[in-house]
This record gives sequence, C-alpha cells and structure tokens, in this order.
Amino acid sequence: MLNALLENRFAVIAVILFGIGFVNVMMQFNLLKKVVGFNIMDSAVFLFLASLGYVGGRGAPIVTEGVVDASLYINPIPSGLVLTGIVVSVSVTAFSLALIVRIYKKYGTIELDELLERVKKEED
Amino acid sequence: MSEPHGKKSLGERFVSWVNGDGETKDRTLFVMECRMPRPPCRREEEHRKLEKRRVKKFLGWYPLAAGLICVALVAILVSVVLAMPLFGHPDNPTNNEVPTYYLEHTEEDTGAVNAVTGMILTYRGFDTLGESCVLFMAVTSVMILLWQDVKNTDEHDLQKLAREEEIKRKNPDVVLQYAAKVLTPFIFLFALYILFYGEESPGGGFSGGTVLGGGLILYSCAFGFGRIHTFFNSRIFNFLRLCGLLLYAGLYGYYTFTGANGLGDPLVSAFGGLSLPIDFAVGMVVASTVYGFYAMFTRGEL
Repeated sequence: MLNALLENRFAVIAVILFGIGFVNVMMQFNLLKKVVGFNIMDSAVFLFLASLGYVGGRGAPIVTEGVVDASLYINPIPSGLVLTGIVVSVSVTAFSLALIVRIYKKYGTIELDELLERVKKEED
Repeated sequence: MSEPHGKKSLGERFVSWVNGDGETKDRTLFVMECRMPRPPCRREEEHRKLEKRRVKKFLGWYPLAAGLICVALVAILVSVVLAMPLFGHPDNPTNNEVPTYYLEHTEEDTGAVNAVTGMILTYRGFDTLGESCVLFMAVTSVMILLWQDVKNTDEHDLQKLAREEEIKRKNPDVVLQYAAKVLTPFIFLFALYILFYGEESPGGGFSGGTVLGGGLILYSCAFGFGRIHTFFNSRIFNFLRLCGLLLYAGLYGYYTFTGANGLGDPLVSAFGGLSLPIDFAVGMVVASTVYGFYAMFTRGEL
C-alpha cells in the first residue's frame, strides 16, 4: 500500500492540497480566505490532471522535425484540459472577488458571521 | 395577509416576486410559509440573548462537522488513489489511441508542431471557443458589478479618487517608472513572441495574451490611467475583446462548415494552418480580459 502511495505521489499530494483547500472553504469565515481556499482546490485538480498525462522518460509533445512517433512524447490531452480549468478558475475567482467588493461596499465587512448578523438585522 | 395575494394573477405575482416584493416572497417560498409565527411580545434583550446562544451552539459544532466531512472526503480520495493505475506508466488507460492519433497527425492536419496547440485550437476548437466565451462573460460580469458611473458614485468616492490621484501625481514612483520604461517594450515583444510561436514552441494565445495584459498592467501602474488612455481606452478595449471572439467564431465556424479538412482548405492553408490566426484572436481576448480585471478592481473604469 505504501508503495502504491509512493508511486502515485502526485495524486496523493493533490488529494492533500484538495483537503487543505476544502477545509479553508468550510472553516474560514472571511470571504477572501474562502476564495483562496477555492484556488488551492483548483491547483490540486490541475496537479492531478497534469500528472495523469505524464509518461515516464518521454518529452514534451512538440513534434521535432521528421520524428513522428507517438511513443516519444507525453499525452497532450490532459495539458489541454488543464488550460480549460485554469481559465475557468481565473474567471470564477475574478467574479467572486467582484461580488466580495460589492458586499463590502454594502455591509462594511467580509466576515461571514458579522455579515449574517447584519443581514438579519436589516431584515427585521 | 393572504387575501390581497389571492386577487393577483400568477403573472403579476411572478413579476412582483422578480422585483423583490417582500410579502409575495413570503408566499412563494414554502419554507417561509411553514415557519411558526413569531411570538408577539418578546423583549429585545431576551431575543438577542437567545440569538447569541443559538449562534454559539452553531459555531460549536460547525468546525467539528466540517473537519469530519473533510477527513472523510480525503479518506475516500486516498482510497481511490490506491486503486489508480501507476504514475507515468506507458500502458495506462489515459494513453490510448486518441493521443497517439493527435501526436502522429497534428503536423499534417493542422500545421502546428506543438501537439497541445494543434489539439486545443483545431481538433477541440469548440472547447477553446467556450473558454474564450467564459473569459468574455467573466470580464463583462465584473464590469457590471464594479463599473463606477454617475449612478453609483457619490461625492465621497469622487473626492477620495481625486485625493489619491493628487498624491500619485505629487509623489511619482521613480523606480517603478524607470523600470516600466525599460521593461514594457521587452514584455510586449516577448508576449508577441509567445503568441506567434505557440504552434512551434510552448506558448500560444492564452499565455501570450496573459503576458501582454501583464505589460499593460505594468504600464498603467507606473504612469497612471491618463497615459494609457492615449493608446488603450475603453473603446479599443471593447473592440479588442469583441473582435477577438468574433474572429475566432468566424474562422472556426468557416473551418467546421467547410468540412474541417485540415490543411486541404484553401483559406486555411493560406494561413499555414488555423493555429496562428486563432491564437491571435485568443490573445486579443485574454489580454483585454486580464487588463480589464485590473482596471475594474483598481479604479472601476477603463
């Protein structure tokens, strides 16, 4: 079992990073830190995907002149998927940060517990 | 309370619910309806004390539950990792015939030497078109949320902005300005290099566009928004991101509707493959998006 964990070390590290990000999202009451947690989770997913595409001892998927042999290069598909993921992560981060700016302008705080209190007071 | 709502038709109720009418919302939300009516005579202090106790109780068990959920999630994921195929092995199920096809045919099909660029821009072009749309929508929604115009800016904000401008004008950051003056042309050059050599080397529209946006950010950081408006104002910004997206959609649509013949198509082979023009379009979208985020978050206008 230890051997399998060592072999898949990138996946294990990705899982640990995902856990750290998840705890951040769940436990932090500051909205900005929640966004940071989301970003850590994103990085974990990118690490996992990129590690799936690697094949031991092969080079980057840039076909050098004349050598068209698939057994020389790593898998290009996960790299492309990571690109999609990065774009989505950037967009979501920017959107949530903009929402946080608006929340701060309206309520004067980004701590979730104070925020809930203020919203409740406003409702009453 | 329910009589006045009974008279309204469903459409009117929906319209007032969309407009955020409080009473109608109470009727529409089932949970609200089920809630017990509040006891009429509870003193303010008692109410506050109860509320505080409730929050404290919630905060007491919440971290515990969150930690438990997280530990369970990590345990499940680790058990999945144990069942995964070994890292970096050539016989893994991810290395099937699809990447083999991409690697062996990219050059003759798309004209790109870099298999990743060829793949994301031609074989899987709709995916990348969707990404560009996501970026476009992201910067649009950030603009909707943060744009400062007459309606949401009061005197106080304007005075604050003017004070900041004044301070910046009186104390120019000499180190930053000299560094920006030296570095910006090289950053732009490097960005264009990444952009146009994406089909032959690591790079492409996304990375090149990001570097280009970074150069714009450095310039506007050092010299202020007044200077950058001489060559990059909101009209050029909108033109760039719209034209990038339309150029991409048009080119890829043409490519798909004429049968996706690879280099056999006359227009495509005139460009030497689709990678170059599409990379350029994506770079335009990405650069304006990156700079748009910066401008929106610092100043609220372009």
